[in-house]
Amino acid sequence: MPEFFLTFYDVFKSTYKGFLQAGLLTIEITAIAIVIGTVLGIIFALMKISHSKILQTISNIYITLIRGTPLIVQIMFLYFGITSIIVLDNFWAGAIALGIHNGAYIAEIFRGSIQGIDKGQREASLALGMNSSLTMRRIVFPQALRRAIPPLGNQFIITLKDSSLVYVIGVSELFGLANRVAASNFKQFETFLVVGLYYLILVLIFSALLKWYENKLDVDK
Amino acid sequence: MIKAENIHKSFGDLNVLNGIDLEVRRGEVVVLIGVSGSGKSTFLRCLNFLELTNEGVITIDGKQVNQKKDNLAKIRAEVGMVFQHFNLFPHKTVLENVMEAPLMVKKMDKAQVKKMALEILQKVGLSEKAEVYPNKLSGGQKQRVAIARALAMQPKVLLFDEPTSALDPELVGEVLQVMQNLAEEGMTMIVVTHEMKFAKNVADRVIMLDEGVIIEDSDPDTFFNRSTNTRTLQFLEMVDV
Repeated sequence: MPEFFLTFYDVFKSTYKGFLQAGLLTIEITAIAIVIGTVLGIIFALMKISHSKILQTISNIYITLIRGTPLIVQIMFLYFGITSIIVLDNFWAGAIALGIHNGAYIAEIFRGSIQGIDKGQREASLALGMNSSLTMRRIVFPQALRRAIPPLGNQFIITLKDSSLVYVIGVSELFGLANRVAASNFKQFETFLVVGLYYLILVLIFSALLKWYENKLDVDK
Repeated sequence: MIKAENIHKSFGDLNVLNGIDLEVRRGEVVVLIGVSGSGKSTFLRCLNFLELTNEGVITIDGKQVNQKKDNLAKIRAEVGMVFQHFNLFPHKTVLENVMEAPLMVKKMDKAQVKKMALEILQKVGLSEKAEVYPNKLSGGQKQRVAIARALAMQPKVLLFDEPTSALDPELVGEVLQVMQNLAEEGMTMIVVTHEMKFAKNVADRVIMLDEGVIIEDSDPDTFFNRSTNTRTLQFLEMVDV
């Protein structure tokens, strides 16, 4: 047993510099994916609840395709698809793929929270002479956003963990680096334990931030 | 001021309004009563186009409204509405609720809107609640804020859809008092309510709806004391006047 701790400590000590950098990369990819996913999510949620059949259909196709295929396939598909058209490094290809993937789930979160707002809110706003877009922007969406924050937070944590899959296109984020380290030091068990801890720490920090933000919103209200 | 001619409205197979004609003059207070399902709320909602009619013409201040082509938001800005369940915006303070539409729709100057909003809140007796969020208010206070919010748009006519039906009995009075003050100031009002005292004391006309048509349209004295309409008499017997 003490032997294990010694090896674990060795692995930790010899790799932490690399993992800190890789961790930064993980955070960057996650952040970019969240931004892209949120923007896409809002756009496709609004399309899905619009009155236009065409927009609804486009949104439905997007959501069905993304939810119906594995993320790892989407990453490969996008990486080899996009890089055959434009020059894009694997970091950006991975972040964009992860963003597009998240957009579908976030769209469903927003759709649900927008439709969950009491229709009296919309009516009161219309009755005051506000048009549909003002009503959405000023009255319905701000309330829907509050309601969406817990499931969004959940989705963001999933995004953070899913970012590990971009290792398949050669990005040296946490999991990608762990793979390479394990292949060279042959201490697979310890190495993956170390990287698992890094993910756990990131998720815990992230959760605490979300919790804090949720509480802050509650106090405001 | 507001004129409805031959209004028909159905939801699927259900005919709710079967040809309603009503003209309300400037400064008039008209109370609509009738059993539930008689179409009073639907009719009210047709008057500000929250429901679109299947047939019929609505004229507001001399202008006939084309509900397909006209900018309905612009028309609604002149027809205020107060709802049974208040529908205040929970993410905005009382003051922000009142300021929202003048700022966003009329694009008025913020300082000017704030001054006006505070004056209106004072009028409904809630200036000390300006910075509070709606969830901290009682039902009666919420409804008074809703009235203030509608007034801030300086509407030509105010529609009330059962404004006191969701209130605890002891809170009804404060809302009716505000409405009575408005009536005395000459506001044109169409009120759907079960408050017979209000109809008796404040209304200029009482209108009885039954199965989507107007079956009686008279002054309160005639309505409550000398009506000969059997349905009206039945209704008056059911409600405690």
